Amino acid sequence: MKLVAQLEDFLYQSQQAPKQEELKLSAWRILVHESEAVSLGVKDNSSGGVYTPPSYRQGESGEVFLVWADGTCSQAMVQLPAHNDLDYWPKALEQWRQASYEDPDAAHIPVPESLPLVAVEDQAIRKIIEGADEILFDQVKHWLADKPSNAKLQGSIQATWGYRHVRTSTGLAVTYQQSQFMSWFSLDSLVGGGFAKRRLIHQEEQEALWSLTVNQYEAMQKEAPPVGPQTQVILAPSMTEEMLGQFILPNFSGDRVIEGQGAFSKENFSEHRLVFHPQFSLSVDPLRPLELGSYLVTSEGVPASRTMLVRDGQLQTPFLRVKDARRWGTKPTALPQGTAGLYLKHQAEVPWAKALEGVADGVLVLSVLGLHTQEAVSGSYSLSAPHSLRILKGQIVGRTDVKLTGNFFVDLLAATTKAAHSELDIHPYLLVRTGVQTL
Amino acid sequence: MEQKEIQTLVRSVLMEARAFEGYVIVRAQSRREWSMRLSNGRFERVSTGWDSGLGVQAFTSGGASGLATSDVLAEGVGAKLVAKAIQLAQRNEEVGTKQNRRIWEAPLVQAEGVNSAQKVFGEIPLLELQERVMSLHSRLREAFPGGAWQTSYRQVEEQWCIGRTDGTLVSFVVPRAVLMHQGTVRDQGQAQSATIHRSGVDATVLFEELKDHGLERKAMDRAGFAKAVCGAPQLPSGHYPLIIDYGLAKGLAHEAFGHAVESDHMHESVLGEEGKLRKGLRVARPGINIVDGPLVGDWADQPYSANGLLRQTVTIVRDGVLEAGLGDVFSAEEAGMPVTGAGRAESYRNVPLPRMSNIRLLVERMIPLKPAEHLMDEVKAVRETLLQNGELREGEKNLLLLGYRGGQVNPKTGDFVFQCDGIIDVADPDLPIYQPSIFSGKILSALEAIRGGLGEGCYDAIGTCGKGGQSVPSSGGSHRYLLMDADQQVSLGGERG
Repeated sequence: MKLVAQLEDFLYQSQQAPKQEELKLSAWRILVHESEAVSLGVKDNSSGGVYTPPSYRQGESGEVFLVWADGTCSQAMVQLPAHNDLDYWPKALEQWRQASYEDPDAAHIPVPESLPLVAVEDQAIRKIIEGADEILFDQVKHWLADKPSNAKLQGSIQATWGYRHVRTSTGLAVTYQQSQFMSWFSLDSLVGGGFAKRRLIHQEEQEALWSLTVNQYEAMQKEAPPVGPQTQVILAPSMTEEMLGQFILPNFSGDRVIEGQGAFSKENFSEHRLVFHPQFSLSVDPLRPLELGSYLVTSEGVPASRTMLVRDGQLQTPFLRVKDARRWGTKPTALPQGTAGLYLKHQAEVPWAKALEGVADGVLVLSVLGLHTQEAVSGSYSLSAPHSLRILKGQIVGRTDVKLTGNFFVDLLAATTKAAHSELDIHPYLLVRTGVQTL
Repeated sequence: MEQKEIQTLVRSVLMEARAFEGYVIVRAQSRREWSMRLSNGRFERVSTGWDSGLGVQAFTSGGASGLATSDVLAEGVGAKLVAKAIQLAQRNEEVGTKQNRRIWEAPLVQAEGVNSAQKVFGEIPLLELQERVMSLHSRLREAFPGGAWQTSYRQVEEQWCIGRTDGTLVSFVVPRAVLMHQGTVRDQGQAQSATIHRSGVDATVLFEELKDHGLERKAMDRAGFAKAVCGAPQLPSGHYPLIIDYGLAKGLAHEAFGHAVESDHMHESVLGEEGKLRKGLRVARPGINIVDGPLVGDWADQPYSANGLLRQTVTIVRDGVLEAGLGDVFSAEEAGMPVTGAGRAESYRNVPLPRMSNIRLLVERMIPLKPAEHLMDEVKAVRETLLQNGELREGEKNLLLLGYRGGQVNPKTGDFVFQCDGIIDVADPDLPIYQPSIFSGKILSALEAIRGGLGEGCYDAIGTCGKGGQSVPSSGGSHRYLLMDADQQVSLGGERG
């Protein structure tokens, strides 16, 4: 019997006909993931070596959230019991009861609402899991054959397919299939490219990503003139995503705002304080087909919907789980999955090729060291970016090592900050005026 | 699952593979965790959980490998995983992977480790733990009402069993517990946070804290310091004489030197040459030693490797000279170093990688430091001790970097960056405070710049090593402070645009 079915039966019984009154549930919620994944890696130009072998992973686990008859709550991680032990779940229930705590705002299970139609599964990925895994081996073979001759290649490909089950005591019973395909590669651990969506990468996307990365790698072989105080800093899309993850995501989490642990207060949101330049907007959008951050329903049973966090530079709402929404006095919002599902948009975005033409004196930052160590609440950064690409008169001319010092909130508020988009990324290039020095 | 049950499972899976001509490593793990988080006086979460699973790594007789794992421990899962791992290994061999037969040379080990916990998992009921953590949290909030406080407590027990085709069967228990306070403070329109923790192997950490309130004092001191940092000026970038605390020293030792001597990194390490460890290379002044090895009762203790070998203590740098690396069975010989049982994995799902346990950076030239109860008293003691010993560089800033927020290193180029909570100029009698700013440079220059230690050894700086996308506990430390000369390849700070 599947885990979700076991839990559903057991929790229903514990609500309707508990063996002890103390163990009576008033409400519950179940989230179970059933998944299978295959992966293959490359290390130091060798595919499938002892540290990166072809791998298969099977999983069936989840979490339960319980509301007891006295209004207290419990949360627990669950997986299938190892043996067919009839006492297993009753014993678990007793332990969950021990772990109960008071949290009246959390003790609320939403009633079911209609779900949107969102594409989150690619059948081609299912076929890989079922055995047609040549695509993994072929892709790695191409990488190794096409790489620059002196470069050391590292990389990985992973395909995941499975079911997501959400059940609630209020009547929600959703099961849907979902998939993921993730691949990344790097050359000499200096420059790399990555792809992560709920569908397979298209051949033209793979070729464009590869070509961009190899061009950047080749540009890196030449030393370029150092930067000056007027040099414009351009964050590559992957850097923009990392900056969003470090500075924006935690400060828009409803619980942190409510608890006074974020950069903005609840009043800042109600007053719609201007925090970004009016041309910037920030949203959570789980409805985009086959994007990694897309879903049908949250783990709490809330249907996917689009939420604007910042509109025209002004704060609208943090993202709110059920508990935070009750404390905030509104409905739950869409939730990002890490930075997946989070979209930063500038009204005057231009294609990257056009933006590049206009950069007279710039440096393109592809990666930095130590971003995770920066203070998220203040937004301030002091980062080292060795192996950045120097831009002069609209051309990438070679490699330079720089140090960046500034504040990401200031960058997003500045009128001088521009954005450019690329077909390969959902996050934009950001062209900012910030502190830059030779490393 | 209990230890005997896990051993039985591993033996049964090995039996499934007995007809296979190659080699099999079976890893089973059962993990229990209780955790809780409080925020501003209320429980935000109390969670219980367990996770058990099985991983089978198969090697063809030529040495091509495949891995299959599952957390569904139903009837027949062992046979299924063995078949899948063998199929993947054979497939891997067909496409011409680089083969590795080192596992056949590993010594046979049969051992059962002792659980180092004084209070076994579950001995203190969850309800009692909740009450105690709430009492610590409430006390801290009353003592420092100007901060938004979160307190979390987590205790984990991992039971491992590793079996191999050669008859090896190793099982051990790894207990861990940590109590953490995180405070967010605001001043002059700026916000800063401070995180402080107390770690051990079991609920004893809570009882010790209830007795001495040492973590509470540290949390209040750090929150006060974070408040001062909010309105502090920024340092001009430059090369300064530095004093770094043991948390940052652990970061330096771990990120900069530990990773650079791991046997799978020798092709991409500044401490490797043509794939071999540069043994005999002078990397620091005489008297500098770097040692890695498990410590009983420590956050990152693990007595055996995830390949079933005894974990050894290794002197990486002895008297300033690079002497040894952290070798696992698969790459140590190729990297020119002995096998030291360094393979560790996050769980049964992951391939073990060579990595550290507790890494210590020690200096023979140590100046004693009188311990102080409060942070700023200790800073004053640092200044006085340095003055008395003629260690303050006259006419320039001598900067004390406090706290460790993490760091990153490119082992190939030797570039590193670290971040602290804030900076104090101990050469100035007013002890002015500055904003934290990037501490960066070249790892070999940083090691060469170390000139002495201040205070006794502190090895309980904890963290999580993220190598290979896995999360494995790490720890280490140094003297309470390390003294570093100014170096042109090691810099602090940058200027805003």
